[in-house]
Amino acid sequence: MKPFISLFVCVCLTLVGSKLYGQTINGFVKDSITGEALVGAIIKTIDGKKGAATDVKGYYKIDLTTGSYTFQISYLGYITQQRTVTVSAQDININFALSSNAISTKEAVITGQRNNKNVTSTEMSRVELSGEQVKTLPVIFGEPDVLKAITLLPGIKSGGEGGTGFYVRGGGPDQNLILMDDAVIYNASHLLGFLSVFNTDAVRNVEVIKGGIPANYGGRLSSILNVNLREGDEQKYKVNGGIGLISSRIMAEGPIQKGKSAFMVAARRTYIDALVKPFLTEEQKSNGYYFYDFNAKAHIHLNDRNKLSFSGYYGRDIFNFRSPTNQLVKFQVGWGNAAASLKWFHSFNKKLYSNTIFIYNRYDLNNQFEFGENGFKLSSGLEDLNVKQDFYFTPNKNHSIKFGGQYIYHTFTPGIATGQVGTITIDESINKQYAHEWALYAMDEFKLGPRLTFNAGIRAVFFTQIGPYTERVFDSEGIEIGQGKTYNKGDVIVTYPGLEPRLAGTLLLNSNTSVKASFTRTYQFLHLATTSGAQFPADLWVPSSKLVKPQLAYQYALGVFKNFNENLYETSIEAYYKPMYNQIEFKPGANLFFNQNLENEMIFGEGLSYGVEFFAKKKFGKLTGWIGYTWSRSTRQFDELNQGKSYFFRYDRTHDISLVASYQFNKKWSGTLVFVYGTGNAATLPTSRFAYRPGYDIIENEPKFTFVDVYDKINDFRLPAYHRMDVSFTYLQKQTQKFESSWNFSIYNVYNRANPYFIYFVPDIEEMRVKAYMVYLFPILPSVAWNFKF
Amino acid sequence: MKQILNYLILGLSMLLFAACEKEITVDLPPGKASLVVEASINQQFPNLNYVYISRTIDYFNPDLSLNGVRNALVYITPGTIVGNDTIWNDSARIQMIDINTIPGIDFLLPGFSGIYFNPTISPQIGVPYKLEITAEKERVIGYTSIPKVVEIDTVFWRQEFDTQEGDTDMYVTFEFTDGPDQNNYRLAIQNGFNPYLLGWGSASQFRTFDDAFLNDGVRPYSFFRPFNFGDTLSLYLTSVGRKEYLFWESFARAANNGGPFATPISVKSNIQGAVGSFTGYGVSFRSVIIK
Repeated sequence: MKPFISLFVCVCLTLVGSKLYGQTINGFVKDSITGEALVGAIIKTIDGKKGAATDVKGYYKIDLTTGSYTFQISYLGYITQQRTVTVSAQDININFALSSNAISTKEAVITGQRNNKNVTSTEMSRVELSGEQVKTLPVIFGEPDVLKAITLLPGIKSGGEGGTGFYVRGGGPDQNLILMDDAVIYNASHLLGFLSVFNTDAVRNVEVIKGGIPANYGGRLSSILNVNLREGDEQKYKVNGGIGLISSRIMAEGPIQKGKSAFMVAARRTYIDALVKPFLTEEQKSNGYYFYDFNAKAHIHLNDRNKLSFSGYYGRDIFNFRSPTNQLVKFQVGWGNAAASLKWFHSFNKKLYSNTIFIYNRYDLNNQFEFGENGFKLSSGLEDLNVKQDFYFTPNKNHSIKFGGQYIYHTFTPGIATGQVGTITIDESINKQYAHEWALYAMDEFKLGPRLTFNAGIRAVFFTQIGPYTERVFDSEGIEIGQGKTYNKGDVIVTYPGLEPRLAGTLLLNSNTSVKASFTRTYQFLHLATTSGAQFPADLWVPSSKLVKPQLAYQYALGVFKNFNENLYETSIEAYYKPMYNQIEFKPGANLFFNQNLENEMIFGEGLSYGVEFFAKKKFGKLTGWIGYTWSRSTRQFDELNQGKSYFFRYDRTHDISLVASYQFNKKWSGTLVFVYGTGNAATLPTSRFAYRPGYDIIENEPKFTFVDVYDKINDFRLPAYHRMDVSFTYLQKQTQKFESSWNFSIYNVYNRANPYFIYFVPDIEEMRVKAYMVYLFPILPSVAWNFKF
Repeated sequence: MKQILNYLILGLSMLLFAACEKEITVDLPPGKASLVVEASINQQFPNLNYVYISRTIDYFNPDLSLNGVRNALVYITPGTIVGNDTIWNDSARIQMIDINTIPGIDFLLPGFSGIYFNPTISPQIGVPYKLEITAEKERVIGYTSIPKVVEIDTVFWRQEFDTQEGDTDMYVTFEFTDGPDQNNYRLAIQNGFNPYLLGWGSASQFRTFDDAFLNDGVRPYSFFRPFNFGDTLSLYLTSVGRKEYLFWESFARAANNGGPFATPISVKSNIQGAVGSFTGYGVSFRSVIIK
């Protein structure tokens, strides 16, 4: 602990003592209509010798000597501005407001990367999509989705047909840190994973970091998914919405005080329950499923130096079931996330500003089961109280420094059961668990000459499981035989400290070619208890403890980045190598439901993934899009599984191709084509079977028995390859100053490919053989959605 | 609960998204053949004291029979617990006889193979038993005992007229008193005029549960699906040991495993030298005509 504090203090002192010189011009670049910050806008002198790109707040700063300068301010989809500024002895604060170019915004391009930033920056393994871009992609049932969109990028694999689960560079689904305006979302799916919790109308942009994770992020091994919501229009009121086949959504935004503060609210609900109802019998009519979610966001510029913003989310999935054969049997389950964050942006001076963020997030699952007079409730979940402090410091043109810290107080509720069955009163609970998670970090992006740039950082992490907690002791058969040590509130049970060095470097070979390399070491203290490989509402997050060690991963990445034709085309090749330690699986046949002894069902092993990703993108013109190809390998090794031999990870995918092409036919019509191909998932299939539980049916005069499957090797079988093509066409129906509407026509799986969802086997007694069947979910599926804004 | 939830949601999503399926050819490598044993003893029904021996076969082998192993030597020996030790009473050792050696049995019970029984065995509650098998040069050994019986207290039902089907649905509940100790249960339900089981597999339905969640009190057990008016319902509520319970609990999940999110489940055997279980059942039996 002490060395970490010393290191942090040294870094801070170094920053404070840095030499400050010259004058600066600084300020924000915003959309002239909405007032939203423009991230990645370029401000440069007309001769190109001085310049900067705006950060995530739309903030820029350029060091200058006294004199007169003509600046060019540009941003993709906006009309470029020029402005002459005279710099004297004082620093100058100038905010720019750019006007949107309506035609350009229709192009499907990655936001904020008009220049060669992808070549010159130290960032690698990072991609960004805008909310508008997500909406142009072909979708199932007219439902655009952020998480499905990112799986079209190299290195990010979809969990399966139609699902929102994603797997980054051979990592598991729990190894992705999913943030919505800085708040962690622990279960990002609705409708069993067919849709994500992100309402695309409310989304401004999505950033995915799959390698070279900078030191200001931590807590997960594989990736960071940052979903930033719209800030709200500071100038005028607007409404956006869409009506799809299974859900509708609406978003409203506008000024609270013109030019100073704004709000955004969004809502979405599915009407699957109403659609299904006509097909149900009278007894089934009380059954149904629906989900809804709300987003709310507001901000206020207190003055030039201070900005306060609030973001909130609440979403639930509700499933009601009443047995059609027994009306006394009722079952209801509800699950969902709640998140809120309050952010204070403060600019100390021209070189130093900060973000202070208070965050609350919760995920919970509640089941209610009734049978006549008997019934019980089951609930589980987790809750975080989180505070982050980030400082951004630019002492001179060669250094860009970030430092800060984070503290999270976790409360895990694995299970509480209450109710009455017969004379038995149920009042059971699995021990709650509590933990502190701390992090301190510092990073500096610095230049060593005109061609070499480094981003060096370090993140010190500490995880402490604390009381109150009473250890329970179990025998080898899982029976509780007593209590162990009792910890009072705040008592330390176990502490895991860790150091996470992060290093990235860029060697600029020429103005449009660079070689980049990065190294990261990451710890993960929270683990998802699941046996299926997919994420379910009932899956539990469990903390590191005495028995459960933190997961650890290293990632080494090397890439070549090259742009062509004045940055019209971007290309890259990245290779990565990622060993992972303390990976968690469960014993075969482990029971995770309401299990106090869950930790003893866990087994621990290692993982390894490596691969090469190719990416080429056309950024401008009538035809835009990208093609990505990944060759990769991902394996796991556990002493207790597969006779101790290494086996393929369930989502190991040797070849993965994605093609996205968008074409603007004219002002009214545009279209997008998507093609994906992936090697089939690895699957564990039975190699033999045996008959068991014999009996004799004297009526039929034949033996009765049950077959049980035997599994020898894990993930030794490959499902057929996954591939499909989707197309969508958008027709701009009406566009006036006050109202705009468009129709989106999609065809999912154009050539009706039967992609494997799962395989099952049925013994056919008459034919005396075992038959194998492959289930596939979506044949060719046309859909239509109407979107509007006014 | 998680399984119920997953199945319900899966069922809904399958309905919504109109899943399709087609038969495919799967090429699987052959698995290693292992001996499989199911040995059952109880204190009440001689027809449920038997040992079944078979072998695993390749998954796509067209043999869909019991695949019983013949000519095995099978012995069950009672013991006495002295302190921490068990002394086996070899003089009381009973050999189980291959049912297929009985003349005419192939005609009476065609297809029944690999079953070993002895009508003279009379297992007692609380007595430890040892199972020894020598089959095809392999040796299997297992241990069990019969736990204390938990009696079925009452069986009752309510009737509802089913307007759609035009008949009467009978919703059945029975109650038993679960004691403060840890208890493990297997329930077999026979719905038919003959209440007696010729092997546990003759029953119509099975349940395996313990009292981790509902302990120490009068515990109702309700059947969600109705029976028909006039049905003969036979209930076998059995108490089993913990190791035996863990086997049958894993067996229940392995036998009902499937779907896109299923993970391979291996049964937790409680015998050495084979896959399977040696289970002592403390049986409480009740047969009622529901009307």
